Amino acid sequence: MKIRTLRLLAKEGTKNVYKNKLMSFASLATILATLFVLGLVLLIIVNVTTNLEAKKQDLQVKFYLRVDATRLEEEEVALFIEQSRASGVVAEYQYESREQAYENAKKDLKYEALMEGLTPENFAVGYFVTLTNPNDSDQFIARLKLFSGVDSQWITYPKQELERISGMVRVFNYVALFVIAVLMVISILLISNTIRLTVFARRKEIEIMKYVGANDWFIRFPFIIEGMLIGLLGALLSHLLTSQAYGWIKDGLNTLFNSIKISGLQLVEFGELSIRILVVNVLFGVTIGIIGSFMSVKKHLNV
Amino acid sequence: MIRFVDATKIYSNGVVGLKNVTVKIDKGEFVFIIGASGSGKSTFLKLIMHEETPTEGEVYVNGYSVHNMPKSEVPYLRRSLGIVFQDFRLLPNKTAYDNVAFAMQIVEALPREIRRQVPLALGLVGLSKKAKAYPSQLSGGEQQRVALARALVNNPAVLIADEPTGNLDPKTSMEIMELLDEINQRGTTVIVATHEKSIVDAMKKRVITLDRGELISDVKKGSYTNED
Repeated sequence: MKIRTLRLLAKEGTKNVYKNKLMSFASLATILATLFVLGLVLLIIVNVTTNLEAKKQDLQVKFYLRVDATRLEEEEVALFIEQSRASGVVAEYQYESREQAYENAKKDLKYEALMEGLTPENFAVGYFVTLTNPNDSDQFIARLKLFSGVDSQWITYPKQELERISGMVRVFNYVALFVIAVLMVISILLISNTIRLTVFARRKEIEIMKYVGANDWFIRFPFIIEGMLIGLLGALLSHLLTSQAYGWIKDGLNTLFNSIKISGLQLVEFGELSIRILVVNVLFGVTIGIIGSFMSVKKHLNV
Repeated sequence: MIRFVDATKIYSNGVVGLKNVTVKIDKGEFVFIIGASGSGKSTFLKLIMHEETPTEGEVYVNGYSVHNMPKSEVPYLRRSLGIVFQDFRLLPNKTAYDNVAFAMQIVEALPREIRRQVPLALGLVGLSKKAKAYPSQLSGGEQQRVALARALVNNPAVLIADEPTGNLDPKTSMEIMELLDEINQRGTTVIVATHEKSIVDAMKKRVITLDRGELISDVKKGSYTNED
């Protein structure tokens, strides 16, 4: 097909969007509604996953050196931790010196009598390490145990907690995937039904084109452009609507969290996700528009 | 030009559309296909334009073997034909001009060609002044003229008309037939299926009569009753 013809057909498809106002509106409304729901579901998924991942980040590897560790042994461990941070294995860490441990113990213990006779020398150096990737914990702990200065009995990591959260993330991901798949199937059915209705209303037109000698692509192309435009428009409108709705929901939930004093729950800012949601919306809307038109026209081409 | 060799069409529901029809129509002829409803007139035309394919036998049109033609070639066959229907079949959301231009856009004619040919075609059918009107703003006769202009604009070798005057009053019908005659005078083969006796009798053209799918007579300068 010549470029000139493609341009002509693209123009034709664009014109058809407003010439068939009612049907365009019906298709647009369907796409808008579906993408809006899809957008909200995606946002819920992102929020839950982000919060669960954040919980994982809070888990720390805690370990203490032996009380009788030499200065050299202490320095070896300090160097290892510093190197691990430089290489990115460790995200951040807190160091607790013998003196700090002594002071903390004094603060924590209610009966000062218990502290009698104790000096900072009786306390061990401690580290509280946050790993960049919580799944590296086993390997990290194994390496710690190689140091003679580290008291291997005093390495703690809430492994169970990690596994619980990881399990939750996994289950949630499956559920999310299922919900999205169901949503997609429903929207494809809904949208192709609407488009089929549009095409059915114009089947005479398609028939006439066939009789005049138009080939299939000549007939199909304007419909595809039409579907694509409606899909694109639906995606953009849905993006606006989603961002508005999410703003309201976020404000509402934040107020609620504050009033019932839940801390640590953080709703993701829409701005951070805006582009991703837009891309998903546009891809989905345009694809649905194109596939819907293609399939619906196909049936009427056999004249 | 057009040749049916022992062509038979039996529809999937068992109805016989056409039975062992052998006939030849030469370039430049004007032919009426007549017969009662259900006699096979429409089937005859449908086989020519590949709306249906013969169950048995062969059909040749403008060099195409319609009986065993790949689907992808059908548009090219139809572009070599001009087709006019009883119900006009104009695109409702296009003006008279655009309806005619559409037939040229399909064959990817140059815009300058389109701008030149479309007014000529509309002029030929006497509708120059209604170029901008939509089908709904035109009378039946005018709509059929637009359909004729569309059928003619690509200079097809054959013009097929299926009951072209079925929805028109007698006066307008005669005008359309005169137009078809004029088109035929310019060298286009014209095939008209009709059951309007007065028209067939008045025009004294070749008449092919079908009855229950069979060709029962083929008369040069015939009439509806085939008295001569």
